[in-house]
Amino acid sequence: MKTLHTEALLLRSVDVGESDRILHLLTPRTGRLTVVAKGARRSKKRFPGTLDFFNHLRVQVERRRPTSMPQLQLARLERTFDGIRRESRRFALGCYLLELLDRLSPEGGRAGDLKALFDFALGSLTLLDETRPDAALRTLLELQALDALGLRPELGRCVRCGTPIGAARSRGSSGSGGQSSAAALGFHIADGGPVCCAEPGEMLLPVHAGTLRALEGGLRLGLPQLGRLSLGGQALAEARALVGRFLRFHVGIELRSEAFLEERLTPAGAGGRLAHRDSNADSNARRA
Amino acid sequence: MKTPPPIERLVANLKRLPGIGEKSATRLAFFLLSAPDTLVTELADAMTRMKQEIVLCSECFDLTEVSPCSLCQDERRDPALLCVVEEPADRAAVERTGGWRGRYFVLGGALSPIDGIGPENLRIAELEARARSGTLKEVVLATNPNAEGDATAHYIAERLRPTGLRLTRIAYGMPMGGDLEYADHVTVGRSLKNRQELS
Ligand SMILES: [Zn+2]
Ligand SMILES: [Zn+2]
Repeated sequence: MKTLHTEALLLRSVDVGESDRILHLLTPRTGRLTVVAKGARRSKKRFPGTLDFFNHLRVQVERRRPTSMPQLQLARLERTFDGIRRESRRFALGCYLLELLDRLSPEGGRAGDLKALFDFALGSLTLLDETRPDAALRTLLELQALDALGLRPELGRCVRCGTPIGAARSRGSSGSGGQSSAAALGFHIADGGPVCCAEPGEMLLPVHAGTLRALEGGLRLGLPQLGRLSLGGQALAEARALVGRFLRFHVGIELRSEAFLEERLTPAGAGGRLAHRDSNADSNARRA
Repeated sequence: MKTPPPIERLVANLKRLPGIGEKSATRLAFFLLSAPDTLVTELADAMTRMKQEIVLCSECFDLTEVSPCSLCQDERRDPALLCVVEEPADRAAVERTGGWRGRYFVLGGALSPIDGIGPENLRIAELEARARSGTLKEVVLATNPNAEGDATAHYIAERLRPTGLRLTRIAYGMPMGGDLEYADHVTVGRSLKNRQELS
């Protein structure tokens, strides 16, 4: 890259030195891009109030030497998502999505993938600008974010034997507690999908086939339609646990913005404990 | 030539100050090295005494030598009007206008979830207590007009709405001496939205 003209969203901003800023941008051309904005805290001319979160920007970036950090030359405002700043739930989820994208977005990749990722980011901000999110919308946005990042979980068939979920005979946990419903399947977080043929004692997240189908439906919807999918009660609790844990597995740490989001968006139901496949393994685990 | 360790140590410490990079830190270190001893001892003494003598005002949480601060004790300032700012420097900026006759409240920053700063890291609970104390009529939210400052103002408004107090936000507009042609369209748009009657 010598000079790059592209759209961009700001993911993170860190003040450095006397007047500069290091910015993490998301662009449809490069994925995540780290640039330095020289004099950004002083010059109101080059970046007049534009370098802010929830602004859709058009930027010019230059790299003088291959080894040096690219410099942001210009940033023009395409549009702002003011609605996100004006309501704390939108702001909380907006910040969380930016942090998630900052953590997981690739630096470079296939052009089509990068464009799709940027479109997801822009589309989700557009949605939040107009919609006050609840726990269901949060879950579906997280799932679509994972999809856009190339980390889509398997929802339709067993990740081990490939049996379609509807056809698989569910083997619910037997006897001991009697808490889990007989129709519950298990989802393997690290393998990224449901497992119908698990070994005894494997740690699986209980989930119903209906929840997996609802999530798959959420992936097929366009962002503007996402608010229409209703997810409630047990399905929401299961979906939250599944998507939350799967995402955490890929991010590796708790995102800084998660505490504020949790405070603003308490999900309707709790749930989501990892359960053992059978009572025998259960008692083994208790002994361990 | 390798820099002697005592100089290196000072440079390393100066670099921890905001806005000071390697170059400035080195320049300051060499300046102090060649400066008279009295300057260095006075500087060190001033820093230590500042740390010992400055406290937070129990009312407005601004920095002060005596708490409550002189401003909070000033009977001529309207106790029913409260201007909420992020930092002490912002309070000073509002005060410099000479146009505010109410009191102040320093939040200690703005919500910044991405940096892990939530409501519990700011003095929002203290502000809520103040709002419920019965002395206030209006709370002016004068946090910065960026995404985090805006979100903080709206979050506080959500929390204070049940008190029934008048909640206002400082206006956005064109900077004095500004030029429409060169202003970003957010500023121009907001200036239009916040237009005023010519009397
Ligand atoms: Zn299977
Ligand atoms: Zn005071």
